[in-house]
Amino acid sequence: MGFETPRGLLKAVRGVSLDIPAGQSVGIVGESGSGKTVMSRAAMGLLSGSNLRRSGQVVFDGKELTAMSPREVRDQFGTGMAMIFQDPMTALNPVRRIGSQLAEGPRIRLGMDKKAALKRSAELLSLVRIPDPEAMLRKFPYQLSGGMRQRVMIAIAISCNPELLFADEPTTALDVTVQAQILQLLSELRRDLKMSMVLVTHDLGVVANHTDFVAVMYAGEIVEQAPTAELFANMKMPYTKALLDSIPNIEMKSGARLKVIEGRLPNPVDRPKGCGFVTRCSYAQQKCHDEHPPLVDAGSGHLYRCWYPLGHTIARKP
Amino acid sequence: MVKLFREMKISSRVSAFWLCLMALFAVVGHWIPLPDPREFDIDASAVGPFSPGHILGTDAGGYDLLSNIVNGARTSLLISIVSVGLGGFIGSVLGILAAYRRGRLDYIINTTFNIMLSIPNLVLGLALVAVLANNADPAIPVNPNRRMFVIIVSLTIVIIPILGRIARGATLTWSNREFVVAARSMGMRDLNIVLRHIVPNVLPAIYAVGFLAVGVVIVAEGALSLLGVGIVDGLSWGAMIARVAGEFEYAPQSMYVPVLVLALTVIACNQIGDFLRGRLDVREGKI
Repeated sequence: MGFETPRGLLKAVRGVSLDIPAGQSVGIVGESGSGKTVMSRAAMGLLSGSNLRRSGQVVFDGKELTAMSPREVRDQFGTGMAMIFQDPMTALNPVRRIGSQLAEGPRIRLGMDKKAALKRSAELLSLVRIPDPEAMLRKFPYQLSGGMRQRVMIAIAISCNPELLFADEPTTALDVTVQAQILQLLSELRRDLKMSMVLVTHDLGVVANHTDFVAVMYAGEIVEQAPTAELFANMKMPYTKALLDSIPNIEMKSGARLKVIEGRLPNPVDRPKGCGFVTRCSYAQQKCHDEHPPLVDAGSGHLYRCWYPLGHTIARKP
Repeated sequence: MVKLFREMKISSRVSAFWLCLMALFAVVGHWIPLPDPREFDIDASAVGPFSPGHILGTDAGGYDLLSNIVNGARTSLLISIVSVGLGGFIGSVLGILAAYRRGRLDYIINTTFNIMLSIPNLVLGLALVAVLANNADPAIPVNPNRRMFVIIVSLTIVIIPILGRIARGATLTWSNREFVVAARSMGMRDLNIVLRHIVPNVLPAIYAVGFLAVGVVIVAEGALSLLGVGIVDGLSWGAMIARVAGEFEYAPQSMYVPVLVLALTVIACNQIGDFLRGRLDVREGKI
């Protein structure tokens, strides 16, 4: 998945292969610009524009989306897969009432009449724990708080019973106190409605609590993927460790500096030939500069992309 | 409606009142007990305002001015509302289509709009009427209904790029919003996205600029009449001005009255358009 830019082809996401098992929750983690959003939007076929260059395939429920006509792909949206967006402030139409926006999916995609769709909307709102759903249907988005809007977004996304839900940083725009509630709600809904979910975030803490499987992305590639418990028990990739270390800890001394990952992402138009993380990695060796590491299978579904993974016994230069 | 009226300042209220009065004239004007606008009063030619039987006076031919204003409102308003409505509709459809589809279609539509906008309104209207409304044999007079139809069509063509450009601009800003992407992610068809998500957001801009356009068209209709290609023989404000153009020295009221009415109507349209623009927070205000 790439974009043609004046400076050359920008490969935003490359060589990514990810399997989302039915009924499971998969986390995608990575810093800003690592390709998380491009990947999830590409999977939903939401990217467009004349500068878009794509290759590879997306297979959903045994059907290859990339080989279908736009009309057929569209029929998969809503009922097959749906998406929750990053910013609930912009993802609702400001001039229409909550009810009409929420009823839209059931009316058009499920063919309900107006009355049934509004009844369904009220049910959805109570499903996402909004008090007094009947009154909420008549409100406009500006009358709602961010957390409420995100709940409405979730209600819209699940309104047509999707099998797969993409949540693209669903809590980034929200208050910390609301974040936990929204994530809890998503996890419960996923269990109750037997959906699969892809949770895109930059917070490894969120992933630890709410997913079964994690993929860590860096510079458009998956650099490590594993079942969640395995990943945290047996981290291989220095980048994953660095991400985890950069989360502030309550036991840190007050005034202590937060750990940051120094440096920046490599230029996506002109990537270095070695490992993308090499300039920022404290364990980098000459080989890391020269050769691009392949994905290595460490067993039990754990894959990583590193020449000298953590716990490796070969002596490292400091 | 009542709520909107309460929010208005005094100038907008007066404007709204004036436009309502003109609309009333246009609808029920022929039932108001006034002298027949087509009958001249042989005893009262070129009398000033407040003469008995002629509140606004008469022109040099003895025609009652108030009656002509009241009965002319229908033609003038009909022409402007129909051409702005029709032009606004066609322009919006083209503008939204261009901005939503982008690519070559956008290029063609936008370039056409720009070419049309580069020709002054009146010149374009004049050229269209002159081409469309004349018989091959100049001795045969043109049917007034056909002339009216041609004027409406011409002014519609003048309005299309004005409102089309506004619709295009507004659509460009709204169609990349996240809620449009969200609607797409729910599997909505493009037609549904446009009707449910784009149009409601674009409409306020169209309303506001549409009101301003009504003012432009009223003036254009008057100017076409004055230039001899408008409703020259019928009842319209423009026709009144055209008819009395030579009588200014000895019956000045016959000029003042229609010009004043026309000017007040245009000012009122601009005022209401401006009020709507401020209230609906539309930024593309230039016409």
